[in-house]
Amino acid sequence: MIGALLYLRLNSLVNLVAHRVRRLRQPKYFVGAAVAAAYFYIVLLRKPGVAAPPGVAVPGAGSDPRIAITLICAFLCLLALVRIAYAWISPPDKPGLRFSEAEIAFLFPAPVTRKALIHYRLLGTQIAILFTAVLMAFVFNRFGYLGGHRVQRAIGWWVILSTYDLHLSGTNLTLGSLRERSRHFLLWRLGAVAAIVLYVAAVFRFAIGPVEALLQGPGDFMKQVAGSPALHWLSLPFRIVFGPYAASGPGEFAGAMVPALLLLAVHYYWVSSTEARFEEGSIALAEKRAAIRAAAQRGEISGMGGTKPTARSDPFSLAPQGPPELAFLWKNLISVRSSLFNRRVVLLVLIVMVAMSMGPLVSLRTDTIGIDAFRKIVGVLSAMFAVYTLLVGPQLARQDLRNDLPNADILKTYPMEGWRLALGELLAPTAILTAVLWIELLGCAAAVDTGDGHALTSGVRATAVVCLALAAPLVCLLQLIVPNWIMVLMPGWYQASRSRAGGVEIFGQRLMFGVIQLLFALGVIVPAAGAVWLIIFSSQWLIGAGPAIALATLVVLPVLAGEAAFGLWWLGERFEKFDLSTESR
Amino acid sequence: MIEVEELTKRYGTFTAVRSLSFTVRPGEVLGLVGPNGAGKTTTLRCMAGIIPSSEGRVRIAGHDLAAEPVAAKRSLAFFPDEPRLFEYLTVRQHLNFVARIYGVADYEALATPLLEELELAEKSDVLPGELSRGMKQKLVIACGLLHSPRVMFFDEPLTGLDPLGIRRMKDSIVRRARDGAAIVLSSHLLHLLEEVCTNVLILKKGDKVADGTLAQVVATFSNGEENVSLEEIFIRATGGSES
Repeated sequence: MIGALLYLRLNSLVNLVAHRVRRLRQPKYFVGAAVAAAYFYIVLLRKPGVAAPPGVAVPGAGSDPRIAITLICAFLCLLALVRIAYAWISPPDKPGLRFSEAEIAFLFPAPVTRKALIHYRLLGTQIAILFTAVLMAFVFNRFGYLGGHRVQRAIGWWVILSTYDLHLSGTNLTLGSLRERSRHFLLWRLGAVAAIVLYVAAVFRFAIGPVEALLQGPGDFMKQVAGSPALHWLSLPFRIVFGPYAASGPGEFAGAMVPALLLLAVHYYWVSSTEARFEEGSIALAEKRAAIRAAAQRGEISGMGGTKPTARSDPFSLAPQGPPELAFLWKNLISVRSSLFNRRVVLLVLIVMVAMSMGPLVSLRTDTIGIDAFRKIVGVLSAMFAVYTLLVGPQLARQDLRNDLPNADILKTYPMEGWRLALGELLAPTAILTAVLWIELLGCAAAVDTGDGHALTSGVRATAVVCLALAAPLVCLLQLIVPNWIMVLMPGWYQASRSRAGGVEIFGQRLMFGVIQLLFALGVIVPAAGAVWLIIFSSQWLIGAGPAIALATLVVLPVLAGEAAFGLWWLGERFEKFDLSTESR
Repeated sequence: MIEVEELTKRYGTFTAVRSLSFTVRPGEVLGLVGPNGAGKTTTLRCMAGIIPSSEGRVRIAGHDLAAEPVAAKRSLAFFPDEPRLFEYLTVRQHLNFVARIYGVADYEALATPLLEELELAEKSDVLPGELSRGMKQKLVIACGLLHSPRVMFFDEPLTGLDPLGIRRMKDSIVRRARDGAAIVLSSHLLHLLEEVCTNVLILKKGDKVADGTLAQVVATFSNGEENVSLEEIFIRATGGSES
């Protein structure tokens, strides 16, 4: 039976590859593939000039690869714990394993044992895991900094990913079994979540010493880690899983593989022996995935969350008369609340926030890191997220023309000029990104050191924050115009990039659009920032820093507004002439 | 009410519609028929302002669609063959949204009887995903009629409707025409033409083959024979094939 299942898997893989190769005849896929190939060559394969040979760490301060490996492992463990905690907090109604609709149609009614189905599913996952493991080994060993042989690292990644996959499957099946058989299902879940929280708190508590040592210099970090018996035992399960990956040589690797494979076998036994009905859950899961794929192909972004949209109340009262642009803001805000703020997203964000705040909370109680360090962390994270919001945010906040592409025919019958329709469509994502940027700006402002004698006084800081806040909506609007331009100029390409279809060529297309977005951001923001700097530099000696910042903003804002107005006008013109049927001819 | 002069639409070197001219007056229902690929939907989409024509002129309620698109679009409604709805707006929110777009001041007074007429009153807080195809079609009609358009374009209006829905749709089209609307509908269903249309325009490969009242078109292609079916007339007019 497994032979037949293996035949199905391998032939599906071969046909998929053949299909991907055949579609390279289309220019959009060929160009995408070429860009992706160039990217992978430069990032993963090309020998950098300063690279150290494999196994040799780069000398200098903080160059101990064991520290980097330990930190990477700790971060991955935290992620895994967050995901497992989420599984216990919000278990599926019916446990399911991942099968496609066709697999369900052919395999479920076939004379195949339950165990064979599980084996088939594990086999299918292995293809993806093997590919990911090889990729991760290349990515993380790019500059030879972490040392070790790539094959060893790839096997290490395979052990980590396989154990994680089996653990998650086992957890879901156990939850399903408990739901079916135990009257104390809620108690089981509460107990498991409490255990995870206590475990993480304990790890944070005992990790303070090593973290302090690391903040003072890398020298004592590994000594502190090795010298803590509590950490030694608490981290044992994870050290077993990460052992082969973290091993520094062939001998250590071979030694680490034995317990790691044993733990993997235990997980396999757990998954294959758990008596839970997964069939119904698998069917529901397959239907959900098919619905997500269909929603992606139709361009319905809310359906891509995998949950059915639910009716929402009006974000504000929409009077029947007034500027029609506000009708689009109203409509798109309803869609935001339907698609983004579902229970799953809110829950995941909460778990991540709790996990992230546990370290500082435990540390603050012992006064070892202090509020200043915490503030700096918030500041750095806020600045990073602000850049991310500006560059990646427009790709994520799609409650605009991109989301309404399937309804383009209807939109074009509305009695509105093109630019007004474009403005209306872009209002909602602009408002969302602006609100996020404002929060991040506050985070950055709170982190700036304003101690005695510092040039950035409270007044200057407040002025700068207000000025940046004023510029934020226009910058966000300009950034959002770019992907909408791409959509009306190249709808065929755009649709391909939105679907969840895989392949390096799709990756290449997305990369190109990302580069276009980045170049546009540089073209808009860098000259404006240069002008601001010039005005502040030349006028602050006369009128002071605060008024100079305000003056620069007053000069730059109309320029940004003009650019946005031109962008909207051009987008509206293009949309009026836009005909999707022409693209498909 | 609808004046089309020398309308041409080209896609690159391919001409989908060639030098089409006709007029639809208030109270008239023009049936646009022809084999697959004749240019029916392209003609409708050009007249509704969805795609720009390559040449020619379209006037809606006295307004040139190219020169005064906003004024022209205020008077028209387009009903596509597939109901295009916003998946996350409820029935009521759809009407609220459309009312704002068209500036319908007293939309609630208009929407209530409209929803009742279309049997949507009890579904006002339901999303399109929970509606049957027929109900979705009704919601599209409610949205289209909310601003009391004087010009209407229907693309295959009976697709997906049950027998009762078909009857109601036909009645609705006839009633709107009687109230003074100018209507163009495209369909493959010849019995619809017989029951609803006052005029017929037959297209083939983008060219006008025949135009006039149903009686005039029948007379043109019956070759003096009596009791020739509309199906036979259509086959004779179009040569019996797409090519």
